[in-house]
Amino acid sequence: MLEAFVLATLFCGFFGIIFKKNLVMKIISMDVMSTGVIAYYVLVAAREGLFTPIVSDVQKGAYADPVPQAVILTAIVIGFSIQALMLVGVMKLSRDNPTLESNEIEKDNTP
Amino acid sequence: MNTLTLIWMAFPFLVGFIIYLLPQLDRYLALSGAFVSAAYAVQLFVEQSPYNLRLLDHFGVSLVLDPLAGFFILTNALVTAAVIFYCWRSDKITFFYAQTLILHGSVNAAFACSDFISLYVALEVISIAVFLLIAYPRTDRSIWVGLRYLFVSNVAMLFYLVGAVLVYKAHHSFDFAGLRGAPPEAIALIFLGLLVKGGIFVSGLWLPLTHSESEAPVSALMSGIVVKAGVFPLVRCALLLEEIDPIVRIFGVGTALLGVFYAIFEQDTKRTLAFSTVSQLGFILAAPIVGGFYALTHGLVKSALFLIVGNLPSRDLKELQHQPLQTPIWIALVIASFSISGLPLLSGFGAKVLTMKNLLPWQAIAMNLAAIGTAIVYAKFIFLPHRQLGETDISKLQPGFWTAMVLLLGGLLGANIVYYEAYNLENIVKPLVTITLGWLAYFLIFQRLIVKLPRVLEQFEHLIGMMSLSLILIFWMALA
Repeated sequence: MLEAFVLATLFCGFFGIIFKKNLVMKIISMDVMSTGVIAYYVLVAAREGLFTPIVSDVQKGAYADPVPQAVILTAIVIGFSIQALMLVGVMKLSRDNPTLESNEIEKDNTP
Repeated sequence: MNTLTLIWMAFPFLVGFIIYLLPQLDRYLALSGAFVSAAYAVQLFVEQSPYNLRLLDHFGVSLVLDPLAGFFILTNALVTAAVIFYCWRSDKITFFYAQTLILHGSVNAAFACSDFISLYVALEVISIAVFLLIAYPRTDRSIWVGLRYLFVSNVAMLFYLVGAVLVYKAHHSFDFAGLRGAPPEAIALIFLGLLVKGGIFVSGLWLPLTHSESEAPVSALMSGIVVKAGVFPLVRCALLLEEIDPIVRIFGVGTALLGVFYAIFEQDTKRTLAFSTVSQLGFILAAPIVGGFYALTHGLVKSALFLIVGNLPSRDLKELQHQPLQTPIWIALVIASFSISGLPLLSGFGAKVLTMKNLLPWQAIAMNLAAIGTAIVYAKFIFLPHRQLGETDISKLQPGFWTAMVLLLGGLLGANIVYYEAYNLENIVKPLVTITLGWLAYFLIFQRLIVKLPRVLEQFEHLIGMMSLSLILIFWMALA
């Protein structure tokens, strides 16, 4: 069930990248898509338990798998820095293309 | 060896960051990164036996270093060094050299690692560094081309991440070996990411525009090494798991034919070279076991070609027919073109013979066709008119140009020792026949033919949409 939601998020993002015309909207769609991926990692991590794996005297129950969580943390940081970079690029482009329509920009800049 | 490997991995990043503190020494520091990699690659060839390193624990980073990786690392070192020599006297600022070094380091990391997450990190750092290099001129066009590249590769890497977690779900490990027994959708998602990053088959159609609209040294870096960071894991997986091998070989044949088909009809020099890259990557994938040597020769020759073409008076082949080239440049162009066509004496010949020997029977006809196609494509460059050097010409060239050429073309001659057994009568006759056929076809048909192929598939939306189609295609192949 949850997997279906995650997949829906992923595809919403993917189709947003294709069908949205505005560059900023495309970048936001990409963010939605990466949110889907992150949620999927968290879901996989929580297959066997939900508790944070911290060493202590009290046994709380089934622990979540820390590996996918650690990995997706790296991916979040990378995704965020790439988005920042893209937004800077879009800011530069918006000076000459105020509407930021990707078709227009593509037409102007393809030989 | 442990310490040596770690120093080699960290060196380019470390130097890439401290380069800002010593901007006067930027060129020398950047060059030192390339030299360290070259020395390390030689060390790998001397040792021969594969070397495994697992950092931390069962879930940690795993590295595999063997002669196959050695070929790719050596290519990386030589191409980076050549590009730095080429830019030596130009007005590039420290930022450019820092990005080149970071790119160099992350490409090295992609060649060394053997688990999906380290590879993901390496590939994403490559995307960022390449974007900054493409956008270096700060024009609207360069920013758009860079943005398009970053978009396409980041979307592909998101699919790849989903594939990676599916592998983890099946095996509790991110190792390449976990692909065995992983569900077909995991293979499809991971391969989609790698195929897009490597610029292979229809998912690689972002490559021509990106490679042709960048500056010459950046194009040389991208065609020479960056795409190989996507290809190398495919080769590694194909060698590791025999059930993946047919998929990789099919994509090799497909991209070899597709690239060469587009390249034959292209009239723009840089786009021709970019399509030729798409096709040559197919040769690497068609015979994964000897892909390393092919990658080395292709990396050297393609970066040399991009640097040469960047110095021609025009990008249009039709115009170049009426504007004679300077003879020295023409000679460099001809040497490089001969090597990539597979003429004996240059190492492109050895690489082609070796690849052709390791093909499966069903691949042979298609790959021979692709080889003839390559000869046709480079006939366009070889038969350009040329003239003696005038007094005024010499100053126009970038001063570092010839240093870079000596390094790259010398490397092509030197690499012959890898497979000197290739030189026997039978092997020598076949490429000569191939080239003759290619040149005949060029003179009889393609010289006069002008066909403009539509570029619809290269539009941004179609690139992204094509990913979903490729995904379904690979899924079926993995299921079969």
